[in-house]
Amino acid sequence: MRGMRNTVIRLAKSARVAAFVGVVALSGAALTACSSAGNSSGTASTGGGTYTWWDPYPQHDASSDWAKRVDACGTAAGVTIKRTAYDTTALTNQALLSAQEGTSPDVILLDNPAVSTLADTGMLNTTQELGLDTSSIDKNLLAAGVVKDKTYGIPIGANTLALYYNKKILDAVGVDPATITSWASLTAALAKVKAAGHKGITFAGIGTEEGSFQFLPWFWGAGANLKQLDSSQAVAAVTLWKDWLAKGYAPNSVITNSQNTTWEEFLTGNFAFGENGTWQVDSAAKAGFPTGIIQIPAENGGAAPAPTGGEFLTAPVQKATGRYATTKKIINCMTTTDGQVKTATTFAYYIPPTAAGQQQLLAQKPDLKAWVDAVKSAKGRTSDNLGTDYPKISQAMWTGVQKALSGSLSPKDALVGAQQAALKATR
Amino acid sequence: MTSRPRWWKTALGVFFTALMLFPVYWMVNVSFTKTKNMRADPPHWFPWDATTEGYQAVFHQQMPALATSLLIGFGSVALTLVISAPAGYALAKLRLRGTGSLNFILLVAQMIPAVVMAMGFYAIYLRLGWLNTIVGLIAADSTVAVPFGVLLFTAFMSGIPEELIQAAKIDGANTWQTFRSVILPVCRNSIVTVSLFAFLWAWSDFVFASALDRNGSMIPITLGIYKYIGSNTTEWNSIMAAAVVASVPAAILLVVAQRYVAAGVTAGAIKD
Amino acid sequence: MRATQTPAVGSPGTPGAEAAITSPPPASGGLPAGRRIRSTQWAAMAFAAPLIVYLVAFYAFPLYRNIELSVHDYTIRAFVQGNAEFVGLANYADIITSQTFLPALRNTALFTAVSIAFQYTIGLGLAVFFRNNFRLSGVLRGMFLIPWLLPLIVSASTWSWMLNSDSGIVNSVLQAFGIGQINWLTSPGMALVSVIIANIWLGIPFNLVILYSGLQNISPDIYEAASLDGASGWKRFWYITFPLLRPVSAITLLLGLIYTLKVVDVIWIMTTGGPGDVSTTLAVWSYREAFGTGQPAFSPASAVGNLLILIALAFGVLYLYVQRREDVS
Repeated sequence: MRGMRNTVIRLAKSARVAAFVGVVALSGAALTACSSAGNSSGTASTGGGTYTWWDPYPQHDASSDWAKRVDACGTAAGVTIKRTAYDTTALTNQALLSAQEGTSPDVILLDNPAVSTLADTGMLNTTQELGLDTSSIDKNLLAAGVVKDKTYGIPIGANTLALYYNKKILDAVGVDPATITSWASLTAALAKVKAAGHKGITFAGIGTEEGSFQFLPWFWGAGANLKQLDSSQAVAAVTLWKDWLAKGYAPNSVITNSQNTTWEEFLTGNFAFGENGTWQVDSAAKAGFPTGIIQIPAENGGAAPAPTGGEFLTAPVQKATGRYATTKKIINCMTTTDGQVKTATTFAYYIPPTAAGQQQLLAQKPDLKAWVDAVKSAKGRTSDNLGTDYPKISQAMWTGVQKALSGSLSPKDALVGAQQAALKATR
Repeated sequence: MTSRPRWWKTALGVFFTALMLFPVYWMVNVSFTKTKNMRADPPHWFPWDATTEGYQAVFHQQMPALATSLLIGFGSVALTLVISAPAGYALAKLRLRGTGSLNFILLVAQMIPAVVMAMGFYAIYLRLGWLNTIVGLIAADSTVAVPFGVLLFTAFMSGIPEELIQAAKIDGANTWQTFRSVILPVCRNSIVTVSLFAFLWAWSDFVFASALDRNGSMIPITLGIYKYIGSNTTEWNSIMAAAVVASVPAAILLVVAQRYVAAGVTAGAIKD
Repeated sequence: MRATQTPAVGSPGTPGAEAAITSPPPASGGLPAGRRIRSTQWAAMAFAAPLIVYLVAFYAFPLYRNIELSVHDYTIRAFVQGNAEFVGLANYADIITSQTFLPALRNTALFTAVSIAFQYTIGLGLAVFFRNNFRLSGVLRGMFLIPWLLPLIVSASTWSWMLNSDSGIVNSVLQAFGIGQINWLTSPGMALVSVIIANIWLGIPFNLVILYSGLQNISPDIYEAASLDGASGWKRFWYITFPLLRPVSAITLLLGLIYTLKVVDVIWIMTTGGPGDVSTTLAVWSYREAFGTGQPAFSPASAVGNLLILIALAFGVLYLYVQRREDVS
């Protein structure tokens, strides 16, 4: 009995020691945490209350230029802005949750395909209700925010896709990028590049909205329409990608590539072409090889319409309608011509959605001309009155593309299945 | 015990561990890789062309998040132990009525996907005012560990021989004193195991942090990592560097704690 | 006092299994029987109270909400405005007749069964291996838990990198051995295999810790007695260790099953359930419906989620039934 008792006492002692250590560690951590948690994103109070702002730019924290601009617009409107950054995928759902609870923020920057979805729930104000002027905004860029002839937000800028090329490789194989104006010429260039031992082209075919985003220029470039996923033009677009994979012009990893991964592959310097967007302009300038861009070619010549990326400034419905006056001031402050150009350069590179803004940007950075042109001929994904149908069609489309590229189904069968799924989902 | 040479066991152990930890090595490799070499084909086994930009970013930006994660981890452990140890005792030794149904409910509780829990918590926390607080996140993270803790404690405590408890009763201890001075020390093995699980689950949680603590002034490292994930670009070396830096203190904790799990506590208490 | 012929003492996984203790019940204290039972019951309820409050506060509501989501038609408009139409079991009918249902079910069964089989076997093998304390065994065992520290986005992404068809280290090594390029994440045949491999890797620490704990609680006296009888290594394992470990194994397998059924992050980050549907499990399907597209479909997502809970429940009931039979026998 004695031995047991002694053992138990010994164990009790070590338990106490462990507990003590735990408490010390806990308080130590607490102290560190408390002392270093001093950064909040609010500025000096300007006496007018707090307005909440959500945007999908977690890479710009409280000390960044973007945050400072947001704060400045708040100060100019006489209030303090509390900004929260979410990653894009979480933002839409968080917006829905808070709308359900009646705690929507005052301003949300929404990815443009999500605007019609949220507008449909009735949680967004129209620009008309707020008294905002959208007449100077390019129509093709505003279209994503228009649902049943009512506008629900203002774009802060737009970006789009183009084909970056590796000048070193193209010079080595003797291809002039200016001659690539159709699918045939592009495929021929890829053949030459591969024959010389380099890799051809890379793009993002991942099973998410990014995959649809990168596929759309080819889809639209063939003349296909999102309401008819199994048309012969659509099949031609999928077959183009599939043939590239089969011939080794595109790597197998495109099936799981995000746009970021595509860019990383392009930066290795082994690829002649990489499909990516305006946001990589600075990175392209710093690459270890000279680069340039060409518009994504349409099947039979000319530039293919590319989809627009970029967010819309939206104002959710609030219970206290008196807040809208200040919200309007904040939004106007962010969308002056100067403001648009500043946004453009902060976000490498959102093209301003107005003619005045574009001109001013080009005055500062003339080498963005190709991108400005691309954005002017770009198309919103939810345009053509697709609105809330677009996300479901998009999902069916990327699933079909994945099945075709991975070889589970032939392109035709994959797209027929996609069209059936899209019809069923949009019934 | 026979005295065979043990070095081959150590060698084999090292080999197995190396195999298991190879992905972790790869993570460290990526954390030192420059963006232009990320997708090199064939891949670089060793970051010859190393960069420390990932680590610099982490040390400048992520240290508060790291401390927050530690706080949440320890808080989760404390809460889990406080709830599950007494409950385990009640189920195992105090012959609580309704033990069977409680066991069943605990099993069901573990089956609910985290996303469902997070959405439900959002509504509750909104009304309690617990959104964006550390307290709320600790409570949410512990929901992963509590049912498991109760299960483990119940199982372990039911194996404690009655003699120990009777000995304490003869000495005049009431239920609480018995629990504190006799049961708990004997259960050191389980306490450490449950603490380990609770800490690890809280440390690597993302779903709850994302739904419930986004705008807080203190966010855990799993959310801090998202700073490096823009809408179209991702800085992988920073993300991996953050993971490496976050793992070091926790790894040390692990190796130390394993020694407690190792000791067969009951062996000393039972043998003559 | 020879209580050492009680090998199940302290082994986790035997709730209420006091039958293993062979010593006679001790004499009770001085109180009359009725009074004693009631005071114990009060103490029991006091000890269990925090847990019960906790369960009600944190689990009841999400579960109720999930069921409510699944029997109404929650378009996102209805979600925001709170006026969803009651549709009974229509959501469940929709998902069962969907073309994704059977593949998802099949993938879930394969994913779960293969993952658990390998996690358990490898965990058990390692636990037995580490049981004889050799030099560095404690440190190495601790290091085995490191994969658990990493946020899932990091571990899943690392596996994606390693298994990349073109720039992944695994293919690089295989090519050095003359094996051709395997499209781990992008071919319909290999995508499920790849996520299973990553999941096995993630599950080994859990199995290792619990099984090792269980092994520690088997008294060495048994082995001494067995070696006196002439039993050697493999026989000792199969006839002594393994049966004694049965309660621990049962709980490990059950918990492993429940946790594996819920796995989403690993699959989502590596393949997003693709290409097509080949690596979509029920959990991934539920997640995709709710968060993976631009149009969150909460009602079908929660219906699939509830189906998953029912499947896990079935196994839980099976486990409790087997437990009860073992207690009685």
